[in-house]
Amino acid sequence: MAAQSQRSDVAGIDVITYRTHVKDVVVILGALPAGDAMAESGNIAIPTLAGMMLDRGTKAHDKFAIAEQLDNVGAEISFGVGTQSLEIRAKCLKKDLPLVIGLIAEELRTPALKSQELDKAKQQFIGVLETSAHNTQSRAQEAFGRAIFPAGHPNRPHAISEYEAAAKSATLEEIKAFHAKFYGPAHMTLVLAGDVSTPEAQAEIAKAFSGWSGGQDYLRPSKPAASPGAGEIRVPLADKPSVSILLGQPTGLRYKDADALALRVGTAIFGQGFTGRLMGTVRDKEGLTYNIGASMGEDSIADGNWNISASFAPALLDKGIASARRELGKWWKDGVTDHELAARKQGIVGSYLVGLSTTGGLANTILMSVQRGYDVNWLDGYPVAVNALTRNQVNAAIKTHLDPSSMVLVEAGSVAQYPTTYGGH
Amino acid sequence: MSERAEFLGSRAIRAACVCATAAALNAWTPAAMGAAVPAASPAASSGAVAGFTHVKSLGGIDEYRLDSNGLDVLLVPDHSAPVVTFQVTYRVGSRNEVTGTTGTTHILEHLMFKGSEDFNDPKGNSIKQYLERVGGQFNATTSFDRTNYFATIGRDSLEGYIAIEADRMRHLWLHEADRQAEMTVVRNEYERGKNDPDNVLMEEVTAAAYVALPYHHPTIGWKSDIEHVPIAKLHEFYDTFYWPNNATVTVVGDIDPAATLGLIKKYYGVYPRSPSPIPEIYTEEPAQSGPRRVLIRRPGELGTVIIAHKVPDGRNADQPALDMLDAILSSGKNARLYRGLVDQGLALNAVAGTDLHRDLSLHTVYATLAPGATHAQVEKAMLAEIAKVKTDGVTAAEVERVKQQFIAADAYKRDGTAAVAAEINEWIAVGDWTLYVTFPEKVHQVTPADVQRVAKEYLNEDQSTTGWFVPVPAEKGS
Repeated sequence: MAAQSQRSDVAGIDVITYRTHVKDVVVILGALPAGDAMAESGNIAIPTLAGMMLDRGTKAHDKFAIAEQLDNVGAEISFGVGTQSLEIRAKCLKKDLPLVIGLIAEELRTPALKSQELDKAKQQFIGVLETSAHNTQSRAQEAFGRAIFPAGHPNRPHAISEYEAAAKSATLEEIKAFHAKFYGPAHMTLVLAGDVSTPEAQAEIAKAFSGWSGGQDYLRPSKPAASPGAGEIRVPLADKPSVSILLGQPTGLRYKDADALALRVGTAIFGQGFTGRLMGTVRDKEGLTYNIGASMGEDSIADGNWNISASFAPALLDKGIASARRELGKWWKDGVTDHELAARKQGIVGSYLVGLSTTGGLANTILMSVQRGYDVNWLDGYPVAVNALTRNQVNAAIKTHLDPSSMVLVEAGSVAQYPTTYGGH
Repeated sequence: MSERAEFLGSRAIRAACVCATAAALNAWTPAAMGAAVPAASPAASSGAVAGFTHVKSLGGIDEYRLDSNGLDVLLVPDHSAPVVTFQVTYRVGSRNEVTGTTGTTHILEHLMFKGSEDFNDPKGNSIKQYLERVGGQFNATTSFDRTNYFATIGRDSLEGYIAIEADRMRHLWLHEADRQAEMTVVRNEYERGKNDPDNVLMEEVTAAAYVALPYHHPTIGWKSDIEHVPIAKLHEFYDTFYWPNNATVTVVGDIDPAATLGLIKKYYGVYPRSPSPIPEIYTEEPAQSGPRRVLIRRPGELGTVIIAHKVPDGRNADQPALDMLDAILSSGKNARLYRGLVDQGLALNAVAGTDLHRDLSLHTVYATLAPGATHAQVEKAMLAEIAKVKTDGVTAAEVERVKQQFIAADAYKRDGTAAVAAEINEWIAVGDWTLYVTFPEKVHQVTPADVQRVAKEYLNEDQSTTGWFVPVPAEKGS
């Protein structure tokens, strides 16, 4: 697969193109280091507000004029702000690629950054935060991340309440300064997949981004997060008849580290899909939850986390957590079997190939691979690496990097509001 | 294994705010590129595979019927990637339920994963074991008008999946022990839905809008029915509706049509037609003679307003104009609701869409209040935008812009077999799969006058159901 891609430096941007069989459609995904963690000691709302200002007009066109150009051809451009990245997503017909690349460049390079639009962006951001403050999953993630990552670690989330206060006090000057410092081609990646001509794409990118400079690198902590030890946190939320839980710890591992893939495959056996051990027991046999799973995350650039995620009714919460811990203990102590590993390897590779069958899935896989520090050859290397794993490697990675006795448990929901048993059953 | 219809409407319209318009937008097809789609030759003629009758071909889709039992088959060859999406749609949904059995369709959908005579966990070849071993992306969903089971897999894994899917059509295990374990799973799914006040509001607006039609109750069912429905009722439901003559198989992707029909015949051809006719719904919704209102008070921070109107069934000739109206109202930053509400600081988002049904559909305009805005302000602004369309109409430029968006959306949707199968599934649900092809042609013929006419005809106060979610402060100790 990698042979079908072309990677080049265009105007200082890492550009990867991949021609697929789809007709007329081009998907563009990109990223540059301007995420929430880049606020560092400054106003923590600035990275998100800066990202929200990109599609609110440029120095040359107001937001309605830009939207009209896109709407008239059915093209889409959107921006999102993640932990470390500003994310760029676009989709268009092949004939409209020059227009879309031009508009992406215009919005990134010369946003209008007007105070009236900032006020609207603040209102939108605060509204989203207030909604998140009542979402059990968001609150569980907030508490979990703050418990397992120390201050200064890029994966440590800010409290939702802190974001809200920061958004209210954010100034246009702070956003302009952030934009000047962090927005630039250095460390920026653009992936174009679909019915794309590489020379044409390169030429359009070179034209649109010519003369742009600046940008900062991603944050890579010199020391991985250490386990904070066992702990339990309860986040009370009113009128939530399903409680979200997270149980886990920091791994100290980045995606590309030795052991990370082995732990990932072992985790898939434990907690992914309907045949994962957690779903097979806690849901299928015991009927305690609609959804339970285990995963590793936030490890593309910095060291990440391992967690079990589930939802339980308050009346079944203790029983559900006990079952999850029981399965975790067994998995950690005894490891996975040869049969489980063989079946899961086949499934992971098959699912990977199915995922690459859409242009969006392919573009996302390429972008993630590059952000994780691989070259495009990883498209072919990934299935090989999965198939090469041994049971001993998987079980050793589980034992080495996880400790069930030192995990943090978060429960978010109406734990005390609802009865502890179901009536009449 | 999910239930989605009880918030399909709100989900559909919320999704629309990014891409363009509501669910029907996704139904755009090659026809929208400007030329009518001819009735092509079937990929495998009826003579090529004995036992099938070729029904019709349209827009690259070939329809066949298995002569022995009436199973409907749609083949959509697409060789752009070595994958296939196989789907079976049963024409049964929560519309087929009554008091005491609400949620039965959905519980049965869950139990369809508990094993069948030839494929089950003890044998190590259950549907979950097989599909996860081959890396399939699979699930099932239940809605008001249909239930579907589907997987996207490598082409070499197709036969194995057809064999399992066919076995569970008539040889499902339906054990009381499984019902008990799965009931609590479904109850947690129900509880998760109740965590979101917007979902609760949408359920209550829908329940108020429909008095007689079974769309009144949510697809997931009432909690007491989920907990108490006996296994005998589930058996009865399965034996009434899970027959080949009540199902459509859709296969999209890298297939050889004749070989695929051969596999379908091999595994589904062993079943007869249902011993009794599939029951029809004869209930009709009585006329609504005044506005209805629903109010929900729960802990939360931001309020919501939904204005709903019953509109014709999904096959009705006015639906393309309603779809155009929704796009003009809520597709992109130049849409009227964005300019009138979001950009004015009244709403965080504001979208319009229609949840298409086999019987009366539900049109909704939805807005999440921005901090500081009141429900009355937002409702007034929403109604003002509707009134403007009714009074002044829409412009030719607005109509043309939406048509261009639909042309692009057509190209986008051809990228991936699962999305194609999912859209065909929804048109099967409303009762005519050919709308997957012809609906876009009809949208392309919509004029500004059509848009104004349907707004005047359907979006009337006396036909409306308006819902407010009003947040209240949380009590301590929750």
